[in-house]
Amino acid sequence: MTTIVELVAVSKHYPGGPTALDSVSVAFAAGTFTAVMGPSGSGKSTLLHCAAALDRPDGGRVLLAGQDLAGLREPRLTEVRRRRVGFVFQQYNLMDSLSVWHNVLLPQRLAGVRPDRGWAREVLRRVGLADRADERPARLSGGQRQRVALARALAGRPEVIFADEPTGALDLASGREVLALLREAVDDLGTTVVMVTHDPAAAGWADRVVFLADGRIVAELAAPTAELVAAHMTAVSAR
Amino acid sequence: MIRLALGTLRTHRAACAGTFFAAVLAVALLCGAGLLLASVLTAAPPADRFAAADAVVSGAREVTVTSSKHKKKDKTKTKTKTERLTGAGTLPAGLADRLRTVPGVTSVVADTAAPVRIATPDGRAVLGADDAPVVAHGWASAAVTPFTLRSGHAPGPGEVVLDADLAARAGDTLVLTSRTGVRTVRVAGVAAPAGRDALPAQGALFLADADVAAVTGLAGPTAVAVSGSGFTLPADAGTVLTGDEKVRADLPGALPDYIAPISIFGFVIGLTGFAAVFVLTGTVTLGVRQRLRELALLRTAGATPGQLRRLLGLESLLLAGLAALAGAPLGIPFAALVAARFRALGAVPAQFEVRVNVLVVLGAVLVGLLVAYTGARLAGRRAVRIAPTQALAETAVAPSGGVLTRVLAALVTTAGAVAVLTFVPLGGPLGMGMSFVATALLLCTVAALGPLAVRPLTAVVSRVLGAGGATGRLAAMITRAESRRVAAVAVPLVLMFALNAVMLLNGALLTDLATAEQAARTSPATGRAPGGMPLAEARRVATAPGVTGAAITLPTRAIVVRDGKPEDYAAQGLLTLGAEPVLDLAVTSGSLAGDGTFAASAYLADGYGWHVGDTVPVWLADGTEVPLRLAAVYDRARGFGDLVLPAELVAAHDAVGLTGPVWLWGGGASLSGAVVSSDADQQGAWELMVVVSLGFTAIAVVNTFAMAAAGRRREFADLRLAGATAGQLHRLAAREALITVAVGLLLGALVTGVVTGVFSVAQDGTLRLFADARTYLTMLGTVGGLGLLAGVLPTRFAVRSR
Repeated sequence: MTTIVELVAVSKHYPGGPTALDSVSVAFAAGTFTAVMGPSGSGKSTLLHCAAALDRPDGGRVLLAGQDLAGLREPRLTEVRRRRVGFVFQQYNLMDSLSVWHNVLLPQRLAGVRPDRGWAREVLRRVGLADRADERPARLSGGQRQRVALARALAGRPEVIFADEPTGALDLASGREVLALLREAVDDLGTTVVMVTHDPAAAGWADRVVFLADGRIVAELAAPTAELVAAHMTAVSAR
Repeated sequence: MIRLALGTLRTHRAACAGTFFAAVLAVALLCGAGLLLASVLTAAPPADRFAAADAVVSGAREVTVTSSKHKKKDKTKTKTKTERLTGAGTLPAGLADRLRTVPGVTSVVADTAAPVRIATPDGRAVLGADDAPVVAHGWASAAVTPFTLRSGHAPGPGEVVLDADLAARAGDTLVLTSRTGVRTVRVAGVAAPAGRDALPAQGALFLADADVAAVTGLAGPTAVAVSGSGFTLPADAGTVLTGDEKVRADLPGALPDYIAPISIFGFVIGLTGFAAVFVLTGTVTLGVRQRLRELALLRTAGATPGQLRRLLGLESLLLAGLAALAGAPLGIPFAALVAARFRALGAVPAQFEVRVNVLVVLGAVLVGLLVAYTGARLAGRRAVRIAPTQALAETAVAPSGGVLTRVLAALVTTAGAVAVLTFVPLGGPLGMGMSFVATALLLCTVAALGPLAVRPLTAVVSRVLGAGGATGRLAAMITRAESRRVAAVAVPLVLMFALNAVMLLNGALLTDLATAEQAARTSPATGRAPGGMPLAEARRVATAPGVTGAAITLPTRAIVVRDGKPEDYAAQGLLTLGAEPVLDLAVTSGSLAGDGTFAASAYLADGYGWHVGDTVPVWLADGTEVPLRLAAVYDRARGFGDLVLPAELVAAHDAVGLTGPVWLWGGGASLSGAVVSSDADQQGAWELMVVVSLGFTAIAVVNTFAMAAAGRRREFADLRLAGATAGQLHRLAAREALITVAVGLLLGALVTGVVTGVFSVAQDGTLRLFADARTYLTMLGTVGGLGLLAGVLPTRFAVRSR
């Protein structure tokens, strides 16, 4: 199995704060769904930001599809991110001044490539929003907006989708829809998904769970279920 | 509530900084303009030439007209209106002797004052300090100030005594020109008032008392100064002035003239007041709009719309209050700076000084507070009704609606502008002021319509300017979606362009037309003799051998009455000689005739309802009323005057009485040198006003752009997450700025076109949309360039390539 994202001894400090990441090494295999869990302040969001090249580590290396990101400068970094990575955030981060359709096409337009309209229509259909393409995001529900964000991530055929608490702001039913779509992306499209969550039920959709505490990886779990994850979390939190 | 208001002010630094900055400038501008106007309105004459006298009997200095109107039920309404004379009326020659017999009077001095021109024998003009006029008096008048001899002796026949200031620039002999002739005189002595070299605003020249009547041509004294104690002057003596009032008996020309500055500063305060209020309202509105999300959060936390309204009001008062603390003191140096420039231009008297008036400063602060408060309440009108659920959404959207209010407000201001442009004769002296009022009203229309006006324009413009490239397409979509934001930024651009373009273009048009009319008026002439001659001298030039036609002009001012209100107009005394016509006034009815008649410009004849053959009372410079028959109506009045009077009559009643250029035909004379426009001062003042307004509106544009960019940090961050590089964001901002600027300039050109178009038609019936192409293009370039820069730079700071 090939590794698509690899962190080698990555450290990150924030001025005036505790060590966010303490020499973390972890690899994510292509076509897998990994959940990153941990208590608040464990460094899970930092791990995601470093892995996705949104933030620069203070030490260690980040390899995205074999390419070392440390040597890249903006805007090359943005280009790599744009080509290989898709994002889904808790706060959707859609452009309110653009319609759903234009939001979905936005990253490709910014990348200067001819948007694959057929594929964009297909992903919108997959997320169940084919008929809302001309709406403004502000007029959609939270679940619908998160599905637009997912469609936008998928439209660029990324190798990896990084999701930061994608269900954090959603009700249970909407959250399940989004998780099912992420699972589908892995199973049907072979995308790699790395998802930060604090919800054991959400982690239960993953192939593998990585537990973080105080900036270190403290446990791993393959083939997780919600119950197993919850038990591990209790153990991690109690350390 | 105060704590909450302070807290939100702290958290919204960007929006607040913008509003604060705009408020500081607005208050400074209002305060400065207010101080200028107040200082000019309360300006006192700098010195009293009659300081040593106890009372002064003054000849006429103004024309008073009392008219009564019959109203229904036998009621009569009587009103008295006055207009100041430009010359001075005289008193009976025997008055001084009569007053000497009044008990208690110890001394009486008959003061005969008349403006004269003096020059050195080699032709160099000698003027008073700050180019003040030189006034001739009899030596007896020296006692009323008093002037005392510093050197030399009292003037004998053919001699003069100068004040120490004039003497410093003059030699031993002088050429003295008055309306009665040109004389060479010897300087016999130097005199000065106690403690200084001369009186401010007038140079003093003393003649031998026996020479006074011959030089000035005046039959009686212009004032009689009386000293003594416990005297009562006879009621029929004339206007008796005492104390501070005495100074009003001096020659109008010898006192600093604050009439023109009052209208200039009145215009300044109108202009700056409008721009300040306009900009401040826009900025406050933008500031409130950027905080919708927070307002929604407060609603979720249980705040009622009423509480939010109060919060917004309180915040704006805090902000404007702080701004006023900084702005009001800034207004004082601003006023001083503008006054200094105006003094240098000669648009205000050299003696003019800005005096700080606490009431005016407080007034400016109050207006600033009021505008900020009203702006915040208006902007919050709908925003506070925002649904609490909006707080949960990604970004808050202001409740839409209010279209009806916008359209109604726009209709009212448009109707006002149409009324001004239709009913006010823009060709007259009110033209400039009224074209500014129309521009202001149309700008209000644009501001009221805001997004409604911007949206359709953006739809078209963005498709053209957004073509090509991903960022262009994105910019086009964003500007189309965010018409409110585009409007907020475009409206200051419209203001900057239209306000200044209208002033510059109309000003340039008037200058061009005056020059063209001047040329057309004198096109039949083949030669020109320089002005500044007594009439008799000019007559000699005009009848020199070989001259077959001549027109002698004698600039003066005259007063005519409309609806019981005396009004002062520029006039020319005209004497035409010879067979060849040399002056073409484009007479439209009647024909120019001589004594006992006058001619009026078409503007004046229309306005006053005069027809050829009517007899109209005309008041001359010294206040003498003469009935004259209207003999002709003419078109080419620009830069000439609205009344043409017999030259002899003007020479007899205007103590200045020297000719303008003498236009000649034949005699080998040649047209040499351009005629210097008498409007040069006004033009300079005008340009200074444009500089002030250009500066302020430019700052407003930059400020608004910066505020808008600061409010978009989050949007830019989202775009970065969606994969935009810093460079792409910069290009996006540039493209958006391009679209916004284009929309602003289009709207600005529309407003400008309407006003300058109507103004141009009113002037000479020709429609010019771009009056002066070079000025127009310069304005387009300046405003457009500034807008682009202001649109691009803040984003550069907000989004840096790391």
